[in-house]
Order: sequence, then structure tokens, then C-alpha cells
Amino acid sequence: MSRVLISVFLGGLMLAGGASAQVEGDRAEGKRLAGQCRTCHGLEGLARLPVAPNIGGEPAAYIRAQLAAFRDGTRENEMMTIVARSLTDQQIADLAAWYSGHKATAVLTADPAAAPEQCVACHGADGIAVIDEAPNLAGEANIYIDTQLKAFRIGKRQSEVMEPIARDLTDQQIRAFADWYGAVKIEIEMVE
Amino acid sequence: MTNKKIAPALLLSTAMLAAPLAAQEAALPDNMEKLSNMQRTDAKFTVIEQDSERADALREIVPHINVPDGFEVSLYAVVPDARSMAVAPQGTVVFVGTRKDKVWSVVDRDRNRMADEVMDFAPSVTFDVPNGPCFSPDGFLYIAERNRVLTFPAAEFFFEGPDPAVGVVVKQGDLVPAEEESFNHTARVCRVGPDGKLYISLGQPYNVQPQEKLEMYDKRGIGGIIRMNTDGTGREVYTRGIRNSVGHDFNPANGDLWFTDNQVDGMGDDIPPGELNRQTRAGQHFGFPWTNANVEIPEYQDVPRPEGVQFEEPQVEMDAHAADLGMRFYQGDAFPEKYRGGIFSAQHGSWNRTTPVGARVMFTTLDEEGNAAGTEVFADGWLDERTGEYRGRPMDIAFLRDGSMLVSDDFAGAIWRIAYNPDAAGQ
Repeated sequence: MSRVLISVFLGGLMLAGGASAQVEGDRAEGKRLAGQCRTCHGLEGLARLPVAPNIGGEPAAYIRAQLAAFRDGTRENEMMTIVARSLTDQQIADLAAWYSGHKATAVLTADPAAAPEQCVACHGADGIAVIDEAPNLAGEANIYIDTQLKAFRIGKRQSEVMEPIARDLTDQQIRAFADWYGAVKIEIEMVE
Repeated sequence: MTNKKIAPALLLSTAMLAAPLAAQEAALPDNMEKLSNMQRTDAKFTVIEQDSERADALREIVPHINVPDGFEVSLYAVVPDARSMAVAPQGTVVFVGTRKDKVWSVVDRDRNRMADEVMDFAPSVTFDVPNGPCFSPDGFLYIAERNRVLTFPAAEFFFEGPDPAVGVVVKQGDLVPAEEESFNHTARVCRVGPDGKLYISLGQPYNVQPQEKLEMYDKRGIGGIIRMNTDGTGREVYTRGIRNSVGHDFNPANGDLWFTDNQVDGMGDDIPPGELNRQTRAGQHFGFPWTNANVEIPEYQDVPRPEGVQFEEPQVEMDAHAADLGMRFYQGDAFPEKYRGGIFSAQHGSWNRTTPVGARVMFTTLDEEGNAAGTEVFADGWLDERTGEYRGRPMDIAFLRDGSMLVSDDFAGAIWRIAYNPDAAGQ
């Protein structure tokens, strides 16, 4: 089952990633632009408040895809819709280069065998993404993950992979998955 | 130290009086539905160490905080993610909401104005963004979550048990339709008004809501403040035309409802202003999404305004994007005369303004007609203006029984205390 998902995922990615994938990101420029991100995400990408995810050390492809989705309006958020709408492809590449370049380390103290089965193929048992198109989930506020899964469940946030997975989850399952990854400790080391 | 032994005994005897029907648990009113599902049976408390390196690090922030002459600042408690606060009627416990999954109980048993115990409240309950706690005068604690409202009778006396009695005021999913849940604009706050009804703010989940949502939002009170009886019946929209209010309180002098509002992003650094509003009767409309104060919102310039409705203007225009959140009237007598009967409000601080602004406590004085008559900075210094980085971000204001102020801070994970002590301050 996990293998099927991954191949579906990769296919979707090729299509989605096309537009901005050619643009090479400049980390120094990304660091400068990150001045408008750091109040919520920190300069190294460690979230400063629960509504924001940790983005330091996240795959560049995922950061690019999300910024593009906020800009295009296919993903909506009270804050991100505003900051992303004026970003150019180059700026998105720069920000993705800056934030993806840090080093994220997860410390899982629970038994990895107990990790949620539906999630591990892409997000890992410890919440460090296994594939480029998935976000890290380690150490996110459980409510952040809970909110995203509920949005996927009703199709408010779109993803060919996540919508079918989330569709049949109960509130309790969603919270259990969110609690698993939320309990993982994450450290993000800034890499200049 | 003997105090510590006496205090629990006192507590227990008071609890017996307050809830004679149950020795272990407070009683819910007969018509109240009990929360039965989603309660854990193996609940354990999470205790936050107060005598810690974290506390020492927070104390180093104190000298940066500026207050008027005669006031002093201290660390009251280490409380992760501290948001809206409710001081229990007897003053023993402060309940503190978060935008995560915990409500904290903060106890100062020996009354040395520093918390001795901080632990999570009702760990048997799975909370979902329990930002807003508030008390009724008779000791019922209400907790407004993202999409549910719970009540805990005599919470002040039963918080030490992991599984206190809990009733459902608004069922999961009945506050707003599930598809209108977001994370950022879903931090609810509540108050029990002078009419005994429960008032709950409902932020709308966009920067500016799309037109097709207008009618439904107006009807449900999304982008407004609703009120209901404390058993959840009789829900109605009390306040219309606001964007995302995360602070309200009633003027004890005349019962007016005052509230802050957070205004539109993306129109530049200096507009629209933040708002402090006064509401004198049910149903008043404060202009959003057509206007924020006197600034027209571009998306709604060509959309017809609701017929026969006059937009109420804010009483105070605050700095744009400073994020005015929690507020409370000062009813104590420990602060100098000028502060009595006025409003203290917290500015969380801007998140994407070119030059950050906010992270302050503001004070607004009222005139004899109950209108705002001047606003000034009361406390600041949580923003390092040299680097533009926050040391802390004030979120809500509450007052202890001794008249001193508590300021919650969800960035530092702390509650600060500001007291008037002209003899000691400045040493």
C-alpha cells in the first residue's frame, strides 16, 4: 500500500514541481527575505508560535510547492495568503534554499513500531520526511497537524495523496497521529 | 510555610459548601449534558517546574520591561503558550488557555505573588485550541475552544483532580461549521456579561472573507461576538461587522461591551489602524468587511453595504498591525486613581510589518460619558527595537485580588506581574 502511494505521489510531483523547479535558489537572498518570516517561523525555521510549522531543514521542493500554492490561492491561510501573494518564482526559490539548508534532527523516544502506519512511508516514524514532496512533521504543534488533516479530510486543503488518506479518519485518529509527531523532539541547527 | 498546610483544608471546607451534593466532584446543573466521549481514563498531570533554569532566563527579561514610576515588574509564573486568563472568584487559581491542547492552572497558595504550582487542568479532556477561559460569578469555569464550549462547575475547588465534572455548553462542531475552522483566527475568548449570558468572540477565518460567505457569517456571528444562556440555549449574534476580536470585557460602571479588533493585513505598514470599540446595544455593526475604522477595504468597495445599518466607529485607533488582543477594565484600588475604571489592553506585536510595532500594554482612560478619553503606553520593552526581535509578546491582561496586574505572554511562555509599589520600585 505504501509503495502505491509513493508512486502516485511522485507522479503528481513531477507535474506540480515543473514551473519553478528550473529556478536556482540563492541562500543569501533567501536569508534576507526571511526577515518577514522569522516572527512566526524563526530565522532557522523553528516555529515561534503554534500556528506556524517548523520549516528549517524541510525539503526545498515542499517549501516551494507550498509557497506557490499560497500565492496561487490553491492553499489558503489568514497570514500566508498575504505574504506569498507578491513573491516571484525567484524569491520562492531563494526562501526554499535558505530554509531547506538548515539541519533538522528529530529525537524519537517512543517505540518506532508504534508510529502511525499510514504516515511513515512519506513522513518517517520520527517525522523527518522520507521523500522530497512531504513535509517534516517532527515536533509540530499537535493542533497544527490536526488542523491540516481535518482540512485534507474535507478537501479544503488539496493534495492527491493526503485527501484520500484523511477522508476516512475520525477526529480521534487524527488527534492520535498529531500527538505522535507532536511528541517528537526536534532540533534545528542554523546553517549559514 | 504553615500556610501551605492550612490552605488545602480551607479549600476543602469551602468546596463542601459550594457543592454539597458531591464530595469528590462538583455537580452539574440537571439540564447540562455531560462530556462522556473523548475523555481519557488514564489521565496524568503535566507539571511545569517553577524553580528552573527557564525561570531564571525569563527573569533576565524583567529589567527590559518599562513601566511608569512606582510600578514594579516580576515573573509570576512559567506557563508555556500562555494565552487568555481567568482568575477564579476566590483568587486561589488562575486558569490560563493556550492555542494548543492545554489549559493551565496556576496556583499561588502562600500568596507571595509568585506561582508555586503550575499544572494542566482536566487532563482527562482532549482540548482543541482552548484559548478562552472565563468565570461566572458563581464559580463556573467556561472554556471556549476552537469549535466547542465546555463548563467546569466549581473548577477552583476541583482542579487538583485529573477528571473534574465537565458539561457541554456548545457541542463539538456547533460553534461554527467545521469547514470554517482555521487555526489562526480561531482563538476564542469569553466573558459572562452583566445579564448572566455567555459572550464568545468568533473570528472569521480569512484575511478578508469572500463575498459568498457574507450572509452565512453574518447569520452565525462569524466575524462577530455571539451570546447565549450559560446552558447553550438562546444563542444570538450580539456584535456584527468585526474581523477577528480576541479580547472583550464589560465596563463595570455601565455594562457596555468593549472589544479589541485585529485589522486587515496586506494594505501597507500604516493602515488600517487597530481598534478598541464600544458597544452600547445588541446588534451594532462595526463595518467589516467594508471598513476598518475609516479605511475602506478594497475587496468590498463595490459590494452593497447592508441596508439600514450604520457602521460604528472605533473609540480608539491603535497603531496599525500592533495586534491588540486581550483587555480588561481595572476594578482594583491598588493602582493610582487615574487607572481606576480604565482599560488595560495587550498588544501582541506585529508579525510582518517592515519595522515591528507593539508588544506592549496600553492604557485607555474613559470620560464621564463612558467614552475613551486618551490612550497611552503603560508597559513596553518586550520588543528589542535594535534587532526587531521579540523578548516576549503580551497576549492578555488579568488582575489578582490584590489589584496587581498579570500579563500573559505566549512567546516567552510566561505570566508577568506588574504591581504598584512606590516604596520598593526603582531600587
